[in-house]
Amino acid sequence: MSQTTRENRAVIDTLPANGERPTVVYRYAGDRFVLLEYGDMVLDLTTNFRIFGLNDALKKARLDGLIETVPALRSMLIQYDSLRLPTRRLVDTLKTLEDTIPSVDELNIPSRRVELPIAFADQWTRADIERYVKYTRQDAPNIVNGHNIDYIAKYNGLKDETEVIHYVCATEWWNACIGFWPGLPFMFPLDPRYAIVTPKYNPTRPWTPEGAVGIGGPCVAIYPVASPGGYQLFGRTIPIFDLQQRNPAFKTNPILLNPADRIRWVRVTDQELESIREQVYNGTYRYKIVGYEALNVKSYLGFLDSIKNEVAAFQRRQAEAVKHVAIP
Amino acid sequence: MLEVLEGGIQTTVQDYPGRVGYLDLGTYPAGPMDHFAFRVANLLVGNPPGAAALEVTAGGLKARFHDRRTLAVTGADMQTTLNGQPLALWESVAVKPDDHLEMKTVKGAGFRAYVAVSGAFEVPEYMGSRATFTVGGFGGFQGRGLKKGDQVPLRRDGAPERLVGRRLRMDLRPRYGTQWEIEAMRGPQADPDYMTPADMEFFFSHAWKVDRNSNRMGVRLESHKWQWARTGGGVAGGHPSNILDNGYAVWTVNVSGDQPIILVADGPSLGGFICNATLVYASTWKVGQLMPGRDTIKFKEVTIDEALTLARSLDAAVSERSIERG
Repeated sequence: MSQTTRENRAVIDTLPANGERPTVVYRYAGDRFVLLEYGDMVLDLTTNFRIFGLNDALKKARLDGLIETVPALRSMLIQYDSLRLPTRRLVDTLKTLEDTIPSVDELNIPSRRVELPIAFADQWTRADIERYVKYTRQDAPNIVNGHNIDYIAKYNGLKDETEVIHYVCATEWWNACIGFWPGLPFMFPLDPRYAIVTPKYNPTRPWTPEGAVGIGGPCVAIYPVASPGGYQLFGRTIPIFDLQQRNPAFKTNPILLNPADRIRWVRVTDQELESIREQVYNGTYRYKIVGYEALNVKSYLGFLDSIKNEVAAFQRRQAEAVKHVAIP
Repeated sequence: MLEVLEGGIQTTVQDYPGRVGYLDLGTYPAGPMDHFAFRVANLLVGNPPGAAALEVTAGGLKARFHDRRTLAVTGADMQTTLNGQPLALWESVAVKPDDHLEMKTVKGAGFRAYVAVSGAFEVPEYMGSRATFTVGGFGGFQGRGLKKGDQVPLRRDGAPERLVGRRLRMDLRPRYGTQWEIEAMRGPQADPDYMTPADMEFFFSHAWKVDRNSNRMGVRLESHKWQWARTGGGVAGGHPSNILDNGYAVWTVNVSGDQPIILVADGPSLGGFICNATLVYASTWKVGQLMPGRDTIKFKEVTIDEALTLARSLDAAVSERSIERG
């Protein structure tokens, strides 16, 4: 055991980096959970892919006493029955798996494709944003022409609403993890040429319609139910959570999306959205979900390499734009 | 069927261990805040320890029975009466149609009581559990706390009076106070990488006051000026309590900004703040008995081996061997 490990009582064990595999740190989270972390605290989808590779391998290992796993951006929380599965055995198994799972560029991650309709700068998010101006903050710089979408454009150096819409629809969105509230996805653009970012609301918005779609930092989320929120809204989609399970998509549980899903947005009008939402609730709408697909990491990394210069150009454009925009 | 005459401050149907297996879809387990008193109540009336029973928070439940059953009430003393006569806690008694159960607002130590009825409450399973998840408004009885006029069905009970007169052994009954010692383990994000050793020393020695604004999502403690080992949260945000979002263990101590919050039964499953300590299985039941605005907690650091020893002895206490008849 190294000197640092002895001094850090929260750390059970550490596996040093090896080639392309980052350092792995295994931490105590009480006597029933272990938190595993990869590498440094940076946002990197490759690390998230590795988490899914490990999650897959761990589930296939069918370890007696393993209860559940929570994949997140660069970490995985593992619940286990420590009376049946000693911590040491769990951590040793996890370490062994690191040597047996393929390197990240050989991973094929099971990943469903989900197509969701979205009405941009729609009447429902607009109504809650107007309430915010009326009751919470009149001079919020992130609200331009009664909505957040023009602010998102300005903050990223995009021309207007139309260009924001183009950016959102041009890439697939990777659901890196689900949490905070049942069914709430944390999604990141798979094509970094369209990686828009924004600061969050200040103060938080007390109202958000169910199905609202917004962005905070680099992350896009869908609000499963009407709730307070801090993300800049740009549109509304169909239900991703239905307690009453009124559509076959909610047959097994009220939550639509899974971790590692890829979401593509398809633009519709407010009226079209309203009509699709009705069909969702009367059970006739069929969610557009393609299962049994996989994300091939190697070809994805090749794609990233091919667009490096365009990504850098967009990041320069963003950096310049931010200088001229007020932060909420 | 149990007819609710007054729902009280917050009375919910729960089961144990709750809705396990949905953390990766964003759903905390719900279930009882005090899993010891909950399971003992079931044991006393002959139910499986995890069967659906009522959690009564702070008191005020009034109810009428419509069947012959065995009843047990455990947990905090709410001057509970049956037909106006004081009802002993941690013991099973017979009830018959038209018997009245009445619980007052809790005055002494403790905060939650558990009501188990032989046969157990019959509410639909939702995502594999009958526990009420107050945040999502699902599970339990119509996804909410009980209120006047509710009729909560009971499952069939073959021998309602077979198990009358069972008591939890005196030496196993928890003694509630107002100054609690709660066992916890350091981590996942503690010293020296996220907090300073002095921060953690303070955490494990201070008597933390339980904030009034505490509930089944989080038990808030007082704010503190931490030293922090980092100057900021890097890519995750400006504050040193910020991290890239990760899953939150159930019963962990989440430090968001200056304020520590114990994430409990209905908490958030994932977020971007550090958790500097996590309660161990054998100590979490105490959190259910903390009275907001009054009680204090000192966290006692234990090792994994100590935690498992405590876990074994707690589990041993929730068994037939702990029950005596009289």
